[in-house]
Amino acid sequence: MFHSKRSYLLLILFAIVAFTGLAFVACGDDEEEGPQIGTVDVLGIWGDEELVSFEAMVDPWELDTGGSMAFTGTRDITTVLTTRVEGGNPPDVAIPAEVGRFQQFAGEGKLTPLSACEGLEETVKANYPQGFIDLGTVDGTLYGFFMKADTKGTIWYNPGFFADNGYEPLTVDSTFDDLVALSDQILADGTPPWSIGVESGEASGWPGTDWIQQILLNEAGGDVYDGVIDGSIPFTDSRVKDAWEKFGDIALTEGYTVQEGAEGINATNFVDATYPPFESPPEAAVVYLGGFASSFITDQFPDAVAGEDFDFFPFPGGGVTGGANIVYAFNDDETTCSFLNDLASAEAQRIWVDRGGFTSVNSQVSLDSYPDPVSRAQAEQLAGAELFRFDLDDAIGGALQLAFFDGVTQYLANPDNLDSILTGIEASR
Amino acid sequence: MVGRRWWTPWLWLAPALALLGVFLVYPVVDTCRRSFLDERSKNFVGFDNYRFIIENPQPLVSDTHSALLNNVMWLTLFTVITVCLGLTLAVLTGRVRYEAVAKSAIFIPMAISFVAASVIWRFMYEFNTDIGTVNATVTSLGGEPTAWLQDTGAPLTALTDRGPDTLPRPIQINNLALVLVGVWMWTGFAMVVLSAGLKGISTEVLEAARVDGANEWQIFRRIIVPILSPTIVVVATTLVIQGLKKFDLVWVMTGGRFKTDVVATLFYKEAFRIGDFGVGAALAVVLLLWVLPVMVIGIRRFQFQEETR
Repeated sequence: MFHSKRSYLLLILFAIVAFTGLAFVACGDDEEEGPQIGTVDVLGIWGDEELVSFEAMVDPWELDTGGSMAFTGTRDITTVLTTRVEGGNPPDVAIPAEVGRFQQFAGEGKLTPLSACEGLEETVKANYPQGFIDLGTVDGTLYGFFMKADTKGTIWYNPGFFADNGYEPLTVDSTFDDLVALSDQILADGTPPWSIGVESGEASGWPGTDWIQQILLNEAGGDVYDGVIDGSIPFTDSRVKDAWEKFGDIALTEGYTVQEGAEGINATNFVDATYPPFESPPEAAVVYLGGFASSFITDQFPDAVAGEDFDFFPFPGGGVTGGANIVYAFNDDETTCSFLNDLASAEAQRIWVDRGGFTSVNSQVSLDSYPDPVSRAQAEQLAGAELFRFDLDDAIGGALQLAFFDGVTQYLANPDNLDSILTGIEASR
Repeated sequence: MVGRRWWTPWLWLAPALALLGVFLVYPVVDTCRRSFLDERSKNFVGFDNYRFIIENPQPLVSDTHSALLNNVMWLTLFTVITVCLGLTLAVLTGRVRYEAVAKSAIFIPMAISFVAASVIWRFMYEFNTDIGTVNATVTSLGGEPTAWLQDTGAPLTALTDRGPDTLPRPIQINNLALVLVGVWMWTGFAMVVLSAGLKGISTEVLEAARVDGANEWQIFRRIIVPILSPTIVVVATTLVIQGLKKFDLVWVMTGGRFKTDVVATLFYKEAFRIGDFGVGAALAVVLLLWVLPVMVIGIRRFQFQEETR
């Protein structure tokens, strides 16, 4: 009766208030993004130490412009990014490691060309290596630039252990056979030469793809490498198969790995696999993993000194593969542009370089900026490589990348099935 | 009474209906629609996505056959083991003095978030014997460590000795390891519900049976199980649905790798990791069609019980 009528009224009133409130909030959002610098929404992969360093790098920009960064870090960036783009709610800026999805977004016209931001395209074209500019270009338009690079031509060893036993670290001029010879020498002295682990949850197998791409680049050359990426050379090609078998020669030779073969390699996490050479006494002699492995080592052994307790020698063959985080934007408003210009600048990148764990591809960041000899050597290797290629699986991306990962774990478990595995990978292209 | 119009009940239902519509009906309809479109949901492709599931052209990255078979395995093995174990424990704990303590201990895993439990078991199953409790136990007893989450092997039998192909061997070691974690989490639920049913059986019936000379096994087999059967069906239905839609456990522990993918993880991977919304949606529809009859049976059963009460 009267009572219930009043509650209807209240309900309706409440509904009206709620809806107008929502509308108001929505409008408020739009109005905030006016001419001055606001909040930039960034989706990336960093957490922990790396995030602290990234925030330190962005701090001066926030102070200078009065803007702020809202950063979301996730290992599952491809998934999150796809969902948000599909849902019509992309971040302002994305900083993933894989370029396959980047090319797809760019092709669909979802990304902002760097030329839309004043001065950005010029900065990138003037200071970044041509190879990275090409990678950020889709259909003739530059959409992204690379800021945090990692060489993947690094074999980590324990200098003390090498000196005690008279082992010689390999050089750029060494060959794959030298690597096998060194392994045999170490094995003969009673230590398993290698520590290998490819477990990485859903992405298990990727450390093995690093091996294969590095061998492929050195043995077959850049043209074959590019052919595998663009599809003109299938995975079933004999030169590709040869690279897999060479990887198998190391991973599957009895006694070569401290993990004692395929089962252990598949079950050992790639981070844990970096520890054995630096235990005392060392449980293995060397571990192959990208430049980022140095941070795993220093996390596990806080007292380890770069260059004395751990160091790297180049993967034999002269060619260098490497990964990098690509930066791209979904809009060109002033906040986003100002933020991108800051990230691309040498001044900002030097901050992270100085904090460690960051290799810049910006030529304005000099080698003197690096805090220790090992990180400097990594930067030198990237800048001075006679033959450099972007990480193979990150360059192809999508289903093919996942098939490549799965191929590695299956190959380790069943090396006799290599032919059918390679056919299976190619079927996912 | 004034003001009771035909739309009064609808007004009260409106919020619930709106939520159901937005969060359930719309996604279901849209998923069905997308399952007939291409990977970017642009062009109509007919039944191509369903053909993909049947023909399994990319066994390395999305092994649809293995996922479907794994779902069958989950819904049978997981349900059977959990119900049997739950029933046994319900009967046994009902007879000990520290019933409450024993039941709490078994029920506790249910109170842990599934993701947290999966992370815990990842450590338990770890290959490195310095970390993995299971392998440490095995090696201390003189065995060899096993890669519990990566080993796709099975005890060699005539059925399993086929070598790797697109079909998984019937029971892989790693699948079994995953199912056991599911059992560990859900046994408490089965036990508590069945135990409540058990308490409802009048002691007179049991005593009459004992007077007539039945032994304990006969009482369990011929009296307790038949009387409990409606409760068992309810528990089993819940578990079958759980087994069918299993996602968190598999995703956290193996990411669906090493042939442990189930339909739920595979459609997520296809849609969001690979970006093929067509195949992802088709897999989701398959899963939906699979769960529907189980739910219908469950609801029918529930209504029937309500009526007879």
